[in-house]
Amino acid sequence: MTSPDHSDRTEQMEIDTSAKWPVLFFFGSALLWLLLGGALQLIAALKLHLPGFLSTCEWSTYGRVAPAAQNALVYGWGMNAAFGFGLWLMARLSATTLRHGGWLFVALKFWNIGVTLGVLGILGGYSTSFELLEMPRFVTLILLASYALIGAWSVTTFSIRNTENVFASQWYLFGAAFWFPWLYALAQVMLLKAPVRGALQPVVNAWYVHGLYGLWFMPVALAAAYYFLPKILGKPIVNYYLAPLAFWWLVVTTAFAGGSRLIGAPVPVWIPTLGAVGNYMLVVPIVIIALNLFGTVSGRYRALGGSLTLRFILVSMVGFVLASVLNLALSMRGFVQIVQFTLFTELRDWLIFYACFSTAMFGAAYFILPRLTEREWRSPLLVKAHIGATVLGGLLLTAGLAYAGWHQGHLLNNSAVEFVDVTKAMLPWFAFRTAGLVLLFTGHVAFFINFVFLACPINSKNTAVAVFRDPPNMSLGPQPPVGHSLKGVGP
Amino acid sequence: MKNGLALFLGVFATLALSWAGLLLTAHRQLGSLSQFKDPVDDVLHPQPLSGLADQGRLVYQDLGCVTCHTQQVRQEGSGGDLARKWGERGSYARDYIRDTTVFIGQSRIGPDLRNVGARTYADADFFYSILYAPQSKAPGTNMPAHTFLFDVHPVAGRQPSAHALTLPSKFAPGAGLEVVPTRRAEALVAYLLGLKDTYDYPIERSRNTPAEKPKEGGH
Repeated sequence: MTSPDHSDRTEQMEIDTSAKWPVLFFFGSALLWLLLGGALQLIAALKLHLPGFLSTCEWSTYGRVAPAAQNALVYGWGMNAAFGFGLWLMARLSATTLRHGGWLFVALKFWNIGVTLGVLGILGGYSTSFELLEMPRFVTLILLASYALIGAWSVTTFSIRNTENVFASQWYLFGAAFWFPWLYALAQVMLLKAPVRGALQPVVNAWYVHGLYGLWFMPVALAAAYYFLPKILGKPIVNYYLAPLAFWWLVVTTAFAGGSRLIGAPVPVWIPTLGAVGNYMLVVPIVIIALNLFGTVSGRYRALGGSLTLRFILVSMVGFVLASVLNLALSMRGFVQIVQFTLFTELRDWLIFYACFSTAMFGAAYFILPRLTEREWRSPLLVKAHIGATVLGGLLLTAGLAYAGWHQGHLLNNSAVEFVDVTKAMLPWFAFRTAGLVLLFTGHVAFFINFVFLACPINSKNTAVAVFRDPPNMSLGPQPPVGHSLKGVGP
Repeated sequence: MKNGLALFLGVFATLALSWAGLLLTAHRQLGSLSQFKDPVDDVLHPQPLSGLADQGRLVYQDLGCVTCHTQQVRQEGSGGDLARKWGERGSYARDYIRDTTVFIGQSRIGPDLRNVGARTYADADFFYSILYAPQSKAPGTNMPAHTFLFDVHPVAGRQPSAHALTLPSKFAPGAGLEVVPTRRAEALVAYLLGLKDTYDYPIERSRNTPAEKPKEGGH
């Protein structure tokens, strides 16, 4: 860690070279899934206000397309992007190359085969009807086996680290690497292999869904924020000594909070109550994390103009705060009674998965990919289109879904309003939702085009280093002491 | 936090605790719920689904009905489920022990279906019609038509089917054609007709509606 600048630089380049192809392919398949899942999502969204659209075919009925889209986005886009980003960051922070990357291609290939079969299985009628576990049973083993390879690479890279300190991002990545397979395997066993009885099934399902979002996607997004902020701003995380407390507090309470999804459900009332208590207790770590992250950016907002990654990470942090506030609100019984089963519930998961996680991955991609390929993004216009669509679409969807869900909940609870009138009142909002998703989709297409230019050898024009000017003091050398042994900046 | 092993143990404990605390504890409490024998007529409740209805459950599952329809009636005082007559009472955990797969759902783009078989309008014809042409029974709905669950064939040259749907001319496929439910449609409708929690368990009633009589409520 006390090596001179240039050797640190060489080391980083060595790491990037070792990670180049696996990470590029993970991001490439993630983006393909983002488009495919987005297309399915648009078809499903259109069907809500145009029920006749593509309704003659069994494969494209709403009940199949909607979960297929969700699965394609979560397991196709979300997981692939998290793998690519996680492996790269783990190697960087552990100051060691990503070894035997060939095996990662095997895992990548099988993971994507598994997701493809799973999505086709849902469309073809083999759905299990458990949220986010809809993929048919035979896919489970393919996914778990290929995940085992990827997870093992991440953990091995961590355990052969050449650094003395373990940085916050590494805790989150390391934890997530274990939580996902455990959650997934346990949920599969308890729901499909040896199903638990009756009302226990929703409990297991809620535990899994909450865990997947809160112990996989959220930690990966936080790992990105904890890494890129100090890296790009060239200053340590503010109040970093509180970060370990926030980490443990966050993950322990999140693990218990799954029951909060079952308020009002036919399960013993202690289950949702425990979940709600878990969510209330989350306030402390969320405040700490917000202090850490926003405190680091505070006063440096001018740097946002120079770094796309920083802008996306900031969006992701806002998404994190919003998602946490919503999570808290959805633990309050009186509020839940109104907005339960409406677009509002959709908003909770969308905020974690899209506004918090996906935007963090976009930010990471804008940082990592030019460094791996040693090229520039071809079109600044497409980059602008991407970030513009993401921010605008995100704002519109958040506000729209929140208002529409609130409205829908009031109508649903008012028995004087016929059900069909609730539907009629919601049709404009379903159309609004489609418009928001179209906007996001446009941004994704723009990003994908730029990615193709960047990653494919056809474009040999640009061989310059990344477009984003390295900020001064980009932690290439030894960091100034922060007053204690843990450094706020990763290597 | 420099020690990888300590980190691993903490990570392991996080999930193990929540698994044991939430899922195992719930399993201990709910896992052995049994049918209840009515003291008056010695009938066991909830009654198991018929074979055809159980096949219908698989159709319900593969078509993803759960994406838009919940199957849970919230208790009195929580939301407007009872006022909407979606059930005579809130759902109990015991209602679900007969269900091989539980579809409590989380979205009400469509109405709740937990007691759809008990509603006054609910008969096989109603369900066939709303599956084939939703607008014929609920004008303005955004429910998709499930025409693929039906065979449409010409009447000419064969005996008309006894199961053919009687549809208003606006929704009928045309003169000389009849719409006959497939086996899957029959199974699905049998399942929907079987969805009714009309029996009120005396033991559950006392357990699920406390805190009303003594005005203070809390213990």
